[in-house]
Amino acid sequence: MKIVVGVKQVPETDSVKIDPKTNNLVRSGIQGIINPFDKNAIEAALQLRDQAGGEVILLSMGPDSYTTSLRDGMAMGADSAVLVSSRAFGGADTLATGYTLAKAIEAIGDVDLVLFGRQSVDADTGQVGPIVAELLNFPQVTFAETVSLESENTIVAKRQLDSAVQDVQVTLPAVVTVRKELNTPRYETPLNIKESFEKQITTWTENDLNIDFSKIGQSGSPTKVTKVYEPTKELKQTTVLPVDPTEAVSELLSKLD
Amino acid sequence: MDNNEIWVYVEITGSKIEPTSLQLITKAKQIADGRKVVAVVPETSKTQAETIIKEYGPDRIESLVDDQFDEATDEELADALFQVTDQNRPNSLLFPATILGRSIAPRLQAKLQTGLTGDSLDIYYENDLLVQVKPTYGDNVMCDIVCPDKRPQMVTVRPNTFRAKKVNNSQTEIVQAEFTFHKNKNSKIIATDPIINSSSKLDDAKVVIALGRGAYSEKNIKLAQKLAAKLGGMVGVSRPLTDEAEFSHDDQIGIGGASLSADLLINLGISGAVQYTVGIKNAKKIVSVNIDKDAPIFDDSDFAYVGDVTDFLNALMNQVK
Repeated sequence: MKIVVGVKQVPETDSVKIDPKTNNLVRSGIQGIINPFDKNAIEAALQLRDQAGGEVILLSMGPDSYTTSLRDGMAMGADSAVLVSSRAFGGADTLATGYTLAKAIEAIGDVDLVLFGRQSVDADTGQVGPIVAELLNFPQVTFAETVSLESENTIVAKRQLDSAVQDVQVTLPAVVTVRKELNTPRYETPLNIKESFEKQITTWTENDLNIDFSKIGQSGSPTKVTKVYEPTKELKQTTVLPVDPTEAVSELLSKLD
Repeated sequence: MDNNEIWVYVEITGSKIEPTSLQLITKAKQIADGRKVVAVVPETSKTQAETIIKEYGPDRIESLVDDQFDEATDEELADALFQVTDQNRPNSLLFPATILGRSIAPRLQAKLQTGLTGDSLDIYYENDLLVQVKPTYGDNVMCDIVCPDKRPQMVTVRPNTFRAKKVNNSQTEIVQAEFTFHKNKNSKIIATDPIINSSSKLDDAKVVIALGRGAYSEKNIKLAQKLAAKLGGMVGVSRPLTDEAEFSHDDQIGIGGASLSADLLINLGISGAVQYTVGIKNAKKIVSVNIDKDAPIFDDSDFAYVGDVTDFLNALMNQVK
């Protein structure tokens, strides 16, 4: 089984700065980590590989510094990694990102399963998985909380909707996006960390892929960020309750009624 | 070819109409400024959702009827919606940011090759551009996003961000949309089990006791659960606590989790980052307990108690009848 896992590197801190001139994220000086949900996707891929054999390939789009996350993922046990990296991909929104990743998956070739974390913790949209699935014409299961290989080319996954749980059966190749509840990602072992430095990270630019240049980067992105700002808050009239908890609760209960 | 209409996807699971879709019809009417508001509804012949949808006053309902929608996959839903939106493209297309909405909207986006903003908190028009407001990159940053050249302008909007309002004497035209249900041979829903205990319950709970990092202890969790049971409410958490064994994503309030509509919310040991506070802005009365008198959560609160969470919970347990 050939499994590709989409990996995004996200800022470690929540207080990221935005460049007011370009409206882009200022990445310099901030430590990058693997998007935590993507670790669940890697774990799911490793378990399926252990069960069915095959290989796990990590795929990311971003600057060279993203190799940090790819090394981490390989230290968990992934076999190799592909980084799609070039200035031409810069400023991509979800559609341009999904297109680029779909083209990279085509270039990897004969992929059976593509896994993603349910969403990234920074931009939080969870759109890229379904976009990749659509562009590759693969079926999808989103927000999976169980994933099992039913036969050589069938996966059954459970997904929780707002008022029902569905069991979805998909024929491979397919895209599955996973929830944190699916599993507990394994720790990197010293041996795996050592081995991760011997594993290969292949870097591709736009010239290595069979792509339409008008569909990548900023020019391939239909959405534009027009403004970045701090939200204004309407301050409430706050009643400060007395220090003594018993008095505080009495006052609260009398005023709530 | 474009038209100037605002389309709202009406999500139906089982026979239940997703409330967010109705909220979006109301919001679309408020911002329409002469544009027609159209509800697009994939449904079975049994559902007859038009009767309910009409009460919210869209100008038109485009009903896509096929009994296979009962257990339609994401691929089949996206395909059906593509058939009715591709030729005569609406100005905007709004989806609820539910699990289903967030799964089919990006597939449809890729088919239509247009822009989609996920999990938006506000929408308004500037001329013909739909400005989509979305918090991003952690604390205290909001973005305005537009899609200048492609149509429709697609967006998913968080549940309970707007209130649905019924209207009297609405003149709603009901149209049977022309489309063909294309069965996808590579995916299939093989079982559907209704659930009672889900995050949507947290969205709709009348009383919510919310725990944050500053209140995380076995004792406080037990007390909070007892109090919630006593008040007929539910326990929710801020994002950091979803990493703990006792809680999961379903318990999360704020971005990526529930948007509350509670009458009473008690925040315990929650500092009040914007990812959290966007999920509580529609709660009616907010009580917050924090050891730090400068915690930002107090700015969003009607009542503030600066002190120990356990002491406050014990006092509440003693005095609440």
